[in-house]
Amino acid sequence: MGYLSKASKTLRQSNYLSLLCNSNFNFNPLTNRITHERFSVTRALLCSQTRQNSTTREKSTIDLSQYPKELVRNFSIIAHVDHGKSTLADRLLELTGTIKKGHGQPQYLDKLQVERERGITVKAQTATMFYKHGVNGDDCSDGKESPKFLLNLIDTPGHVDFSYEVSRSLAACQGVLLVVDAAQGVQAQTVANFYLAFESNLTIVPVINKIDQPTADPDRVKAQLKSMFDLDPSDVLLTSAKTGEGLQQILPAVIERIPAPPGRSDSPLRMLLLDSYYDEYKGVICHVAVVDGVLRKGDKISSAATGQSYEASDIGIMHPELTPTGILLTGQVGYVVSGMRSTKEARVGDTIYHTRSTVEPLPGFKPAKHMVFSGLYPADGSDFEALNHAIERLTCNDASVSIAKETSTALGLGFRCGFLGLLHMDVFHQRLEQEYGAHVISTVPTVPYIFEFHDGSKLEVQNPASLPSNPKHKVTACWEPTVLATIIIPSEYVGPVITLVSERRGQQLEYSFIDSQRVFMKYRLPLREIVVDFYNELKSITSGYASFDYEDSDYQQADMVKLDILLNGQPVDAMATIVHSAKAYRVGRELTEKLKGVLDRQMFEVNIQAAIGSKIIARETISAMRKNVLAKCYGGDITRKRKLLEKQKEGKKRMKRVGSVDIPQEAFHELLKVS
Amino acid sequence: MLKSTFTPIFWVLTPKPKPPKLPPQAITNTFFTSSTTHVRHNAPLNPTTPPPPSSAYIHLPFCRKRCHYCDFPIVALGSASTQTNDDPRVSNYIHWLCREISATNVDQPADASTITPLKTVYFGGGTPSLVPPRMVASVLDTLRLKFGLREDAEISMEMDPGTFDAEKMREMVVLGVNRVSLGVQAFQEELLRACGRAHGLKEVHEAIDVVKLCGVENWSIDLISSLPHQTSEMWEESLRLAIESQPTHVSVYDLQIEQGTKFGRLYSPGEFPMPSETQSAEFYKMASRMLSDANYNHYEISSYCKSGYECKHNFIYWKNKPFYGFGLGSTSFVGGLRFSRPRKVNDYINFVQNLENGLVNSSVKGHISGKDTIMDVVMLSLRTAQGIDLKSFQESFGSSVVLSLLEAYKPYVESGLVVCLDEHRRTIRIDDLNSSLSKTNAEGRVAYIRLSDPEGFLLSNELIALAFGVIDSWKDMPPYKEAEAT
Repeated sequence: MGYLSKASKTLRQSNYLSLLCNSNFNFNPLTNRITHERFSVTRALLCSQTRQNSTTREKSTIDLSQYPKELVRNFSIIAHVDHGKSTLADRLLELTGTIKKGHGQPQYLDKLQVERERGITVKAQTATMFYKHGVNGDDCSDGKESPKFLLNLIDTPGHVDFSYEVSRSLAACQGVLLVVDAAQGVQAQTVANFYLAFESNLTIVPVINKIDQPTADPDRVKAQLKSMFDLDPSDVLLTSAKTGEGLQQILPAVIERIPAPPGRSDSPLRMLLLDSYYDEYKGVICHVAVVDGVLRKGDKISSAATGQSYEASDIGIMHPELTPTGILLTGQVGYVVSGMRSTKEARVGDTIYHTRSTVEPLPGFKPAKHMVFSGLYPADGSDFEALNHAIERLTCNDASVSIAKETSTALGLGFRCGFLGLLHMDVFHQRLEQEYGAHVISTVPTVPYIFEFHDGSKLEVQNPASLPSNPKHKVTACWEPTVLATIIIPSEYVGPVITLVSERRGQQLEYSFIDSQRVFMKYRLPLREIVVDFYNELKSITSGYASFDYEDSDYQQADMVKLDILLNGQPVDAMATIVHSAKAYRVGRELTEKLKGVLDRQMFEVNIQAAIGSKIIARETISAMRKNVLAKCYGGDITRKRKLLEKQKEGKKRMKRVGSVDIPQEAFHELLKVS
Repeated sequence: MLKSTFTPIFWVLTPKPKPPKLPPQAITNTFFTSSTTHVRHNAPLNPTTPPPPSSAYIHLPFCRKRCHYCDFPIVALGSASTQTNDDPRVSNYIHWLCREISATNVDQPADASTITPLKTVYFGGGTPSLVPPRMVASVLDTLRLKFGLREDAEISMEMDPGTFDAEKMREMVVLGVNRVSLGVQAFQEELLRACGRAHGLKEVHEAIDVVKLCGVENWSIDLISSLPHQTSEMWEESLRLAIESQPTHVSVYDLQIEQGTKFGRLYSPGEFPMPSETQSAEFYKMASRMLSDANYNHYEISSYCKSGYECKHNFIYWKNKPFYGFGLGSTSFVGGLRFSRPRKVNDYINFVQNLENGLVNSSVKGHISGKDTIMDVVMLSLRTAQGIDLKSFQESFGSSVVLSLLEAYKPYVESGLVVCLDEHRRTIRIDDLNSSLSKTNAEGRVAYIRLSDPEGFLLSNELIALAFGVIDSWKDMPPYKEAEAT
């Protein structure tokens, strides 16, 4: 309990944000008029928007039973990073009066600091909008009442690390807006996202965004969409979320092209769990999509994944903040508060049903699969408890990280963390620092290998240090995870990119031209090879023009060896890595050179060695310090001299020690840069 | 009450007048025996009043010009100023200095017959030899009146070549100055010029002659190593010429480049034209070797002397004993408090006025924290050849810290940077140390820990910082151990 109350403190920030947004929610005719003028919208839209506002005013009495599934549309926006997904979402929320223009913060649905800074979405969010639209060309000018639609925008993470979460979010949708930048055209993530949506049989509404840019070339992008995805150029909508141009076509297209949800309202309740987060006051809040049946407040519900039962104590829609409705009908998307203690109980993709009914779980549920592991240690050894709390609090909101305590002789007590992928790991680190003020040393990320020994036993290795350097039985085989990588680049960069990818042991699977200037390549790459610094290098050799995405693939056999780093003969467990045998010498040399550069001279000679088993493959020496003396000490200097020496002592205290060798924290950061 | 009344009596009665030519062993031992009592007074569990100081530092800040390496509080009078008799800046300063001495609160017993008279007085600078003898006389008179001054007191004065002649020297001797610290710094014209000294080589030789001519028996030559463009031949020459001059004491300072000095703007340590770290370590070793061969004892990191000629005043600092400080920028250590005076003349005058009006008290009764004391004692003791006297150290701070210190130093005993000595000051071999460390009373057998000469002294900062780390962790256990327990 004590721990829960601590957790809530750190969430105050996001709660504060929601308060801000709520306060912007007051009806203000003046801003509304300005909005109209700025948008120079059609009369029909003006008309419907006024109605939206009246809906807004009455939001406390939203009656969802007015929205049978035929009047519901569930859709998502998918796009390559920076193609304008979040801005477009903001505009749609404004257009429907769900938020007020210019009042809420930009990227409304990206609530985390890390999401705003990086322009990415990490957590799925949903928002319910109401929009009046006359089907079959009707508009409200003919006096006939047009039906009001309930539109659910399901914002999904865009990155491959979260592809499982994306696939679950898409499972709740019937269509997507595929947003492509009018100047940049189709990028790697566009391809990945398209196939995700296509394979889920979703209706795809192509949108070419940012047409206001001077370099916009919508025709070229249309041609790419046609050649890559066979999307009809006449179906493509042209917009600028920045100027508002073309925005008015989007929601009508959503309503007309995307089908209503297919569920059966007379069947027993089945809900898909999309994501969850932890709220200071309410506990765990789950985003859900009602696939079949009806959920009412007070219903007893169960999880198919954990078998645990709960009571739906509060249900409603995100409009855009929690808005209780007491009921969720077939096809609708909203939230459920059910007294879950931790988001670990709320598994993305889980099926929720009425406790005493029997249902077939929805397809596609998978437990989280951890592909990248790294050790996290407090930068200052004495901060272990603080780091422990920070990690517990953060995992309360991000249950997809696996955490196990581990001990390193060099770094002390820490954690071995498993992540869905690289971005996930980065985001986790960043959130630890930004939201919880933790200072950490992270060990070189590694992937899960499988080693087979002569006696037939197998070992899954998530931490290189756990693989014996001189095993009792000989290693007979090793398997490593691979990925299928998509790389799209301007054709002039093909040479250097192929060189890079082959250095990383990549195997080309596909090579084709998207148009006259852009090349599309598909590679199988060992995951290990892209874990460290691959994307940065790719960007730098292509002047930032490359786009890159990947999906998990099979394990493949590989000749991997454990590379130990020794300081004065003592192995530094936190610096051990597993590398391909062909690269071991180069990596060993790089690591020892790097270490020589960052280790301070000590009172004795320091030998830095890289070794495979008992064989030394690289060696550097740091000669002993010759002189460090304050040569004069008068009465007046005593305090100053002591302060100097205390500072020196503090410096030593911050260092990690192996044997008698002091290792500065920067050494660990530097090693992260060696692939 | 009782204690504070009796301590000063004890301190007046115990001092044995020391003949100047006592063997160094006897002197250092006496120092450390008495320091035992004192250190215990400062220990956190016994916060009793320390004895009043019997030493005074007097800052005379005037120089002809500022040397390029100097960051001391000084007042530059101009290169032409060799005669300062009529300079109002000097007389005015001496006036305020005497007022400061007079206004200082003294925690002396009411009975004037039991007062602690001063045993050492040190005129530092600046260039004290620029001050006219009659003004020095007035300072000494003021001190005598205020605290008393023992007949056999050591009265040192820093003197620079080119600022005094035989007549001035004789006048100083008559006033009671009996120890001269001659700021030679280098025996090469080009180096003297490069570091901005106000004198040349000719003045150096003249000054040495004058000091010897005037019969000053106890005198020191100050040298600086690691000057820009200094070669190993130059350094050897300086050491040789210093030894040939036959002073009783030599101070060898390794140049520190301080921020805000001309050198600080021009040079970085270890980079040309400064000698490399290796070179300057060689300079240090050369000094240690040549001076030892010439029968000088290396009794402190930067100090060498003929037997019995240790600077008693400086030893007060290194024994962590109290001392008065008077004048611009000077520091005093009274009642457990280190107090620094303002470094600017106007601020200093304000300070003296406030002192007279009772608005400041430079000797506030406050006991220094146990941790501060232990760190000061470790830092200062390890600078000396005597090293840490474990017996008194253990009495003051307990045996657990002694054990952890020995444990932390063991690898360096092995590599020869640290030396463990028994009570007869015989080196304890590493094997013996290992076996005695495993026994419970290991610290009983090791009587002293010192840094080796020259290797250990050369790395004294590292080794002292290491000891600080031990003291730190001894104070508060590392939290991750607690985490393991839960």
